[in-house]
Amino acid sequence: MSEEGENAVASDPQWDEERLARAALGAVIDVGSTSLARLVSAEGAASVWSALRSSGSDSSWTRRARLLDLEGLVGAAERLGSRFVVPGDEEWPVQVEVLDETELGGMGGAPAGLWLLGPGRLNELVGGAVAIVGARAATRYGESVAMDLASDLAAARDGGPGRAVISGGAYGIDAAAHRGALSGDGRTIAVLACGLDQLYPRGNAGLLRRIGEQQLLVSESPVGTHPTRAGFLARNRLIAALSAGTIVVEAAARSGAANTARWTAACQRVVMAVPGPVHSGMSVTPHRLIRDQMASLVANAEDVQALLAPISQPVLLGVGGERRPLDQLGGELLVVREALPGRGTASTDEIAVRTGLSVADCLASLNELEDRGLVRADGVGTWLLARPSRSTVR
Amino acid sequence: MSSASAFSVALAGLEGTLVEVEAATGGGLPRVVMVGLPDTALYQARDRCKAAVTSAGLSWPSQLVTINLTPATLPKAGSHYDLAIVTAVLASCGAVPVEQTHRLVLMGEVGLDGRVRAVRGILPGLMAAMAAGKTTAVVPRSQLSEALLVEGLTVWGVDHLVDLIEVLNGRPVISEVPSTGPEAVEVAGDALDLADVVGQHEARFALEVAAAGRHHLFMHGAPGLGKTMLASRLPGVLPDLELAEALEVSAVHSLADEQLNDGLITRPPYCAPHHSISLAALVGGGIRVARPGAISRAHRGVLFLDEAPEFGARALEALRTPLESGWVTLGRSQQQVSYPARFQLVLAANPCPCGQAGSAESDCTCAPMSIRRYADRLSGPILDRIDLQLQLPPHRTGLLAGGSPGESTSVVAARVADARERQRHRLAPYLAATNAEVAGATLRKRLPLPEGVELLESALRRGKISARGLDKVLRVAWTIADLAGKDAVARAHLRTAMSLRRGISESVAA
Repeated sequence: MSEEGENAVASDPQWDEERLARAALGAVIDVGSTSLARLVSAEGAASVWSALRSSGSDSSWTRRARLLDLEGLVGAAERLGSRFVVPGDEEWPVQVEVLDETELGGMGGAPAGLWLLGPGRLNELVGGAVAIVGARAATRYGESVAMDLASDLAAARDGGPGRAVISGGAYGIDAAAHRGALSGDGRTIAVLACGLDQLYPRGNAGLLRRIGEQQLLVSESPVGTHPTRAGFLARNRLIAALSAGTIVVEAAARSGAANTARWTAACQRVVMAVPGPVHSGMSVTPHRLIRDQMASLVANAEDVQALLAPISQPVLLGVGGERRPLDQLGGELLVVREALPGRGTASTDEIAVRTGLSVADCLASLNELEDRGLVRADGVGTWLLARPSRSTVR
Repeated sequence: MSSASAFSVALAGLEGTLVEVEAATGGGLPRVVMVGLPDTALYQARDRCKAAVTSAGLSWPSQLVTINLTPATLPKAGSHYDLAIVTAVLASCGAVPVEQTHRLVLMGEVGLDGRVRAVRGILPGLMAAMAAGKTTAVVPRSQLSEALLVEGLTVWGVDHLVDLIEVLNGRPVISEVPSTGPEAVEVAGDALDLADVVGQHEARFALEVAAAGRHHLFMHGAPGLGKTMLASRLPGVLPDLELAEALEVSAVHSLADEQLNDGLITRPPYCAPHHSISLAALVGGGIRVARPGAISRAHRGVLFLDEAPEFGARALEALRTPLESGWVTLGRSQQQVSYPARFQLVLAANPCPCGQAGSAESDCTCAPMSIRRYADRLSGPILDRIDLQLQLPPHRTGLLAGGSPGESTSVVAARVADARERQRHRLAPYLAATNAEVAGATLRKRLPLPEGVELLESALRRGKISARGLDKVLRVAWTIADLAGKDAVARAHLRTAMSLRRGISESVAA
């Protein structure tokens, strides 16, 4: 049955023997298997596949190879509207080939091929792309930082498109990064650990569907694959390899984001981390990465641009000198601005006491300062000074 | 064979129907037959009434007594028909004059010793009887003050069947009391004063805005910041109920088995059920007769749900329709009843199940996904209807020294009353009394647009607020303008309103 099926698909000129073999290997082999990747690059996918199918030995791979309904799989993928890219295709991201020389925790190797869904062109998107990853149970602080970073990095600049934001589509930081990129009409890629028809986690299905319709969904696994623990770790290596750098925003001591950071370092990409409150458990991983000098500290999009910019295009760090936003503040705004501590936070009550203004007036001034990018609300009801950036001053 | 009749009232929700109790005596072996869809409590009235009549020194007819309750198809429940049954039976056997009985409406339960006991639903029952043309009522003496709330009704309060028989015979030892309708009773000042709340000026301001515009309010914050203290002081700053509202509220409370000994309820009620409350106790329920629940007891007042995520999805979902319509309709096999439930919702929530997430001093022991699930329990349709969401920051200094005392309830209540008056004046053409009730389209298209509307457009474009969030900002901005005594929304009012919404993740609130 599967013999006939393969022949039927094989008659489709798009599906040559090598491509079919890669799709088949992607379906039966555990993702992130280094031994397979080595074999495929040495022998070619077609011969590895036929050897696996005709092998008399009884291993989990050969059993799965014999049971695979390849035509059904390809048919389902095409009905979903997804496409399969392999090395040599125009859309194939050469960036992932760094994985052939990278191994971490017994995993590694470039994927046999990638399933894609959405109008985005993967090879164009990944040039200069930046990954933003972090905790699922993120705090408001983390989500707002991730959203601001993604929105600023993905925003168009100098006449060209901004950086594509890559993440894993999970709750918390991942979702905030995707949403941030989408909010500014920027570009984003969700790399999933499941088949492109699964849209895990279910709570983000709406977001992922939108990315699949307007942007790009990527997965190493064929349709119908459920996410597994190993699948998530293998997915992290793809996020790391596809991007020019990875930013970790909020992650607890044990977290997938720490794994992605290790992959990023292993792939010789730039690891960045956003600091958080030292009392928060969600700050442990980013702080450890910075302390161990594995990651550079970044606080805003300019910091990231400076680290990722090609050496030929230096980006100036810091605030511009010619226009000082504070000079333009008048009256109550300046009074309220001055009532905020240089470091740390103040509640609305404290600001009202220091300025002698009513709570309503303080709130109005704080909102205007927030619009001008001089003040930020944190997630727990208090306010802090924001470093003014030229892009947000009006 | 002789017959006589008396009247009582059947209640379905607040709707009362006059019920004629007919009694026929004679023509068979001595027994009592009751027809007309009585429930168990009513069916047992036979035995109660028989014993009570004997205790009162009269004899129960030793003939066939047939008692019929009409309209016969209407289901009847409860023990308040006892007085009408006794009256009809006594009149039918000639123990009291027949002419008197049919003009009376009687509500009350009798004890075996002839005492008359209190029953629920006196106020709505007599209001219905009055509307049906009855002008004289007999009620338990302990509930005389409640019965007198119905204007124009002449009321007899009886302690014992002996009193009733004297009234029926036209030689009462007690005197009838003509009702002059509800009198304004001077209510002793609320024990809970806003001045007791230390600090939390922003939260107090939000509470004032909530009170003035009747906005639903959600307070997030760690335990011990005074969320409950603030919520329990909200009814104190709300204006007095208007007469029609007060009657409605008193009627519901009468049905909920509360004694209205202090006269009409003129202050907005406050109801703060514990999170272990059953669904039936929250929205109303019962096996054959649905009785009002906490949301109806909070009608025209405040419903405070502390630890809101603990209430569970079913309870929170059940609030959706009442929040929208102001009514809750409960279906039972025999009848469907509606109770008013136009409450102002105040929710409070800790950041996580253990309450310590986000706190600098102590460790949160909750699993990451349980924190997210905890917050998610409240997401969606309920939060959509809440205009004000507030983050309470932790106390730092000034608890003992230097914390300036806040304004007292009476000062705030005066501002709230002025703001309400402005709203009533402005919103009368749009069939709303408060800013929270104004429809979104009216807000955007028919009321004057605020100065600085481009602020909202830019916030919308940047994804800072959602389309629904925009309506909420507008509503709250109007209330802030009303509190400031301004006739139009200024830029500053909009900015204050947007500031009050900070920290709300629009992906959740949208």
